[in-house]
Amino acid sequence: MTAVAAKPAAGAAMNPTAMGVGVILVLILLGICWFVSPAVGLMALIGIIIGGVLIGFGVHFVPVGGAPAAMGQAPGIATGVAMLAAGGGLAGLFGGAWAAASGQDPIVVIITGGVGGGLMMAITCMMVNFVYVFGMGIPAASGKVARDPITGDSQAEYKSQGTEGHGLPFVSFVGGVTGGIFAGAGGTLIYLELLNLYEGALPTLMQLKPEQVVPIAVSMAGMFAVGMFLVNAVLTAYNITGTIEGPHDPKFKRWPRAIVASAVASALCGLAAILIVLPLGPF
Amino acid sequence: MSVKVEVIEGGVPHNKIMIAGIVSTLVCLYLTYLNVLTGTEMFSFFGGLAVVAALIWGSHTIKVLCSYGIGTGVPSAGMIAFGSGVIAMLLATRFDIWAPIAALILAAIIGFILGYVSNNILNMKIPAMVQALTEMAVVGALSLMGFAALMTGGFTFAGLTTGTVNVLGQVLLTQQLSFMGGCLIAVAFLLGAIAIQHPFNACLGPGWKQDRMLMLTAECGFLSMIVAAIMSFAMISAGSALISLVIAIIGWAYTYCQYIILSKRDAAAWLDAKPIPDVEGH
Amino acid sequence: MEQIVFGIGITALTGALATVAGAAEDTESNIGSQGDPNSQVQLAPQMGFLHRIFNKAVAGEPPAYGLWCCLGAGLAWAFMAMQFNAVLAIVLGSVLAVFVQGVYATTAYLGRTASLSKFGQPVYVDILKSMTTVTMAHAFIAIFATVSLCQLINGALGHPFPLPLLGLVWGIALGAAGSATGNPYYGKERQYQNQKFGAGVPISASGNIVRYAEAGERNSIDNGWFTAKIGGSASGICFGLIVFLELWRTILFDQVGAGWGSIAIGILLILIFTVVDRYIEVWARKNYGPYTEAKEASS
Repeated sequence: MTAVAAKPAAGAAMNPTAMGVGVILVLILLGICWFVSPAVGLMALIGIIIGGVLIGFGVHFVPVGGAPAAMGQAPGIATGVAMLAAGGGLAGLFGGAWAAASGQDPIVVIITGGVGGGLMMAITCMMVNFVYVFGMGIPAASGKVARDPITGDSQAEYKSQGTEGHGLPFVSFVGGVTGGIFAGAGGTLIYLELLNLYEGALPTLMQLKPEQVVPIAVSMAGMFAVGMFLVNAVLTAYNITGTIEGPHDPKFKRWPRAIVASAVASALCGLAAILIVLPLGPF
Repeated sequence: MSVKVEVIEGGVPHNKIMIAGIVSTLVCLYLTYLNVLTGTEMFSFFGGLAVVAALIWGSHTIKVLCSYGIGTGVPSAGMIAFGSGVIAMLLATRFDIWAPIAALILAAIIGFILGYVSNNILNMKIPAMVQALTEMAVVGALSLMGFAALMTGGFTFAGLTTGTVNVLGQVLLTQQLSFMGGCLIAVAFLLGAIAIQHPFNACLGPGWKQDRMLMLTAECGFLSMIVAAIMSFAMISAGSALISLVIAIIGWAYTYCQYIILSKRDAAAWLDAKPIPDVEGH
Repeated sequence: MEQIVFGIGITALTGALATVAGAAEDTESNIGSQGDPNSQVQLAPQMGFLHRIFNKAVAGEPPAYGLWCCLGAGLAWAFMAMQFNAVLAIVLGSVLAVFVQGVYATTAYLGRTASLSKFGQPVYVDILKSMTTVTMAHAFIAIFATVSLCQLINGALGHPFPLPLLGLVWGIALGAAGSATGNPYYGKERQYQNQKFGAGVPISASGNIVRYAEAGERNSIDNGWFTAKIGGSASGICFGLIVFLELWRTILFDQVGAGWGSIAIGILLILIFTVVDRYIEVWARKNYGPYTEAKEASS
């Protein structure tokens, strides 16, 4: 029995029952949170869910070609989607955490994180095209559309024979930057919510002064942001089955599934993260 | 254009490995509790052995999952295992002596829901998905708890967030120099995430053999234990850290030599500075 | 003012370190053949093309470099907590992280090649002996540079993240940037050197990598020389720009408009890179021309 025969095709179909179950799960988790910590915890959980959904949605924009892209056989970046998105989002989180430590407005912090992620993806995507054009002599071409949706350039005659396209057509570049912005903003939002929650709750829990708990709060919030980032990115990778050319790819239409999946995963992990600092009865 | 992965039969069945993994990991984690009972830190090395046991179980789970061709690479599975496990593990540390059991239950819940989401909402429809993701979240949480116990001597929230520092001869408590304060959990996270997926990823191919893969997992576990023991010198007494380091080095040296012997057994040829053999037609 | 000048000086230093790290990372991953191009090294024996290339299947570059840099940073943090000198701590941390990397590289090569025994691919012990130390040396440069820049960001510029977490963040970013930039160059130009220049590899040619080249049989060590031609520098510039611009816009413009200044500069930089990318794309279309006539082309 080979692997290919064992698994029925995943396909792009939506499963309405499962999506409904997912939405109900999110509501249940929100309800549990409202029950244990009505004001502070619930606001944090809603922020975390929004952050997780931003990450999950944003990763769909990032053009990833996988192993064929490394040979000039497919358009996109030749890295795994989860880790490339993680690289962009974490660069954004880095900037956002710095802004948060300077005590800036939450909106500014989140946008800073987004811009950091977008900047990293912009530089990376530009250097990818640079190497393709000046190092390998190959122009960018998409295999999924006849004309680039943004610039109107025709694609088919710039695609070398026997391949599905190569490089990063302009729509893929824009997709990459957009994905970096969303992922960076989402990760920073999760970090900010958890940081505020922990800085508020840890002094009581650990019987310490507020400035003493700052290293713990930063580390915990940072680690959870990274963890939830990876979970959401891997779920998106499962959704697009590994490779996607960008927002113009037909696979992009699968994004509703990922929104629900990210919402459930983020609500679950966020609730666990919030419960850490709540008094737990006899413990 | 990637390697065709086939479901390979034979070897010890997965459920046996899973039960052995759960039991030995929990036993080793509770053996670190001897630290509290005896007031020393000498038994921290059991945390490292817990990591090795959990990783052996987890790498076999990854083998079961990835044999079905999930469409993405093997490393993603390790990332989602530890990404969901880290949160369960920290929540479980709030439960004092019940922390390992709490980690098991909480991680199982998180992993089960993630598995349901992947299989049904994301329509992956892989038979082993739900059980595999549940197991992997548990493995992630228990491995991280093992690393924490190895590096700090315990698995309670207070122990992980407080360290000591010597100021002018006085021993003071500090948050900065602790497992969480220095974010050593990030190092444990990546050590475990790479170690859990490496054995299957490295032994991938038609000639996959179970004993070779599991020996490689043990080697990766002991290698991680070596560097974790070196990091533990900053947080537990030098003598206890030295015990962990020596056990880790001996374990690593043995498993590494055994792995090389098993690779020699399975390889087509073991050549030293010889040309590429001629194959018909190429 | 003095604060800003100090910040700019540190930023310039971290930019330089990041450039070195990026170049060394790409060189190391090409010598060891890591990441997506490695699928071809794995595929070749199955199509009957036996080879003497180092098959280092240790995850992709982002998670692998995330681990080496985070591990180096964690060990450096532990050594500094034991009152070691900072530079010594970073060197020792990097040495131990490189030891782990070397062990992972050898087990990956042995494992993958032993599992390909059905196709007759031998394990070449001399490749293990000669390649492992070379790849470890390049990895040391990359890890040391990255951990040093993390220490500068944490210690001199005052970022709240502790050293190991910074090592994780910048290690994964390093791997992502170096992998994205350097993989197609290694995969298409080096592995498929015998295909026509200026076009992608047709699917029919998969697995037929170059195995006989300079001095008889192709050897992974020569990939280091090859990467230095453009791939390594491009990866270095990529990661160097990422680190430098991120720090530069924050240090200089963070106080302007309560944070909106650095956001505005960031958006401006994204737009500049978009224009540069579009220019590169149009230049290629104009100067290279299409492969076939527009109306003859089929998708």
